[in-house]
Amino acid sequence: MWKFRGKPSSREVAKGRLHLVLAHDRVGLEGGKLQEMRREIAAVICKYVPIDLDAVEVQIESKSRATELRVSSPLPARGSG
Amino acid sequence: MGRAIVITSGKGGVGKTTTTCNLGTAIAQLGMSVVLIDADIGLRNLDVVMGLENRIVYHVVDVVQGKCTAQKALIKDRRLENLWLLPASQTDDKDAVTPGDMKKLIAELKATHDYVLIDCPAGIEQGFKNAIAGADEAVVVATPEVSSIRDADRVVGLLAAKDIPTRLIVNRISAHLVKKGDMLSQADVIEILALELVGAVPLDEHVVASTNKGMPAVLEGKSAAAREFTRIAKRLVGLEVETVRETGGGFFARIGRALGLSPASAA
Repeated sequence: MWKFRGKPSSREVAKGRLHLVLAHDRVGLEGGKLQEMRREIAAVICKYVPIDLDAVEVQIESKSRATELRVSSPLPARGSG
Repeated sequence: MGRAIVITSGKGGVGKTTTTCNLGTAIAQLGMSVVLIDADIGLRNLDVVMGLENRIVYHVVDVVQGKCTAQKALIKDRRLENLWLLPASQTDDKDAVTPGDMKKLIAELKATHDYVLIDCPAGIEQGFKNAIAGADEAVVVATPEVSSIRDADRVVGLLAAKDIPTRLIVNRISAHLVKKGDMLSQADVIEILALELVGAVPLDEHVVASTNKGMPAVLEGKSAAAREFTRIAKRLVGLEVETVRETGGGFFARIGRALGLSPASAA
């Protein structure tokens, strides 16, 4: 239920906020711990592929009662590093 | 052998006590015997919502401490043949009762009654643990708000860890606000919590008035909320009722609201 001018309804905003909050609640990882994990994962990737450590992102998403951890990182083209 | 259902929510103020009162009364109206237990020790309220506050002699802590039998502590509701209340104590602490005490008490009441409905206190601490200890199933009440749904999700996780089958009641939903895009719909809440819906109760000013009087809305007549509580009661006891309608209702409900005929339009 999107309104004109592309502004989401408060209902859509509530849904989006809940998905994020519940994903974190369900895993039980507070913000600080999540950042720590992100840095460690980035460091592990960096051992194998030269990447920008700060560009690594971790996201927790909930669909139904299953929760998923998603790690994304831009990889350099071969030979560019 | 009866069945024990705990009414819980995590967050306070979402309508657990009103829901317990109305579902219990509606199940009793269907002809089954029902005991309502107020498990909110220290902050009892089911007695005033039921309008039975002047008849309390014994309470749940008296029973647990062996000061009287469970049967003696039950207050009979004079409006219905087969409805009883076991009130909470107003002066004791939550620790006055243990989960083991509750299991034993509920097992005893299930032997003599068809349904035992437990009104759970807000929170997820000792009072919650006591309230769910003897339950065969749980009904989680959530209002279509971020804070209520977040707390409900915590409770759903705790109930799942105890292997208690759990269903959902969405309370105080306003078809008008959902349509405007300013309230989560029942479908949104079901999707987020991933629970089976047992009913969606409309926001209804009749409930406020019946709570003022200590008269269960389902005894007062045909308000929109009362009708839904009765439908939920039928589903809980396993009677066939038409599937839960999506907010907004069907074609005729929409016409009715447009003409101002449906009580739900008052919400």
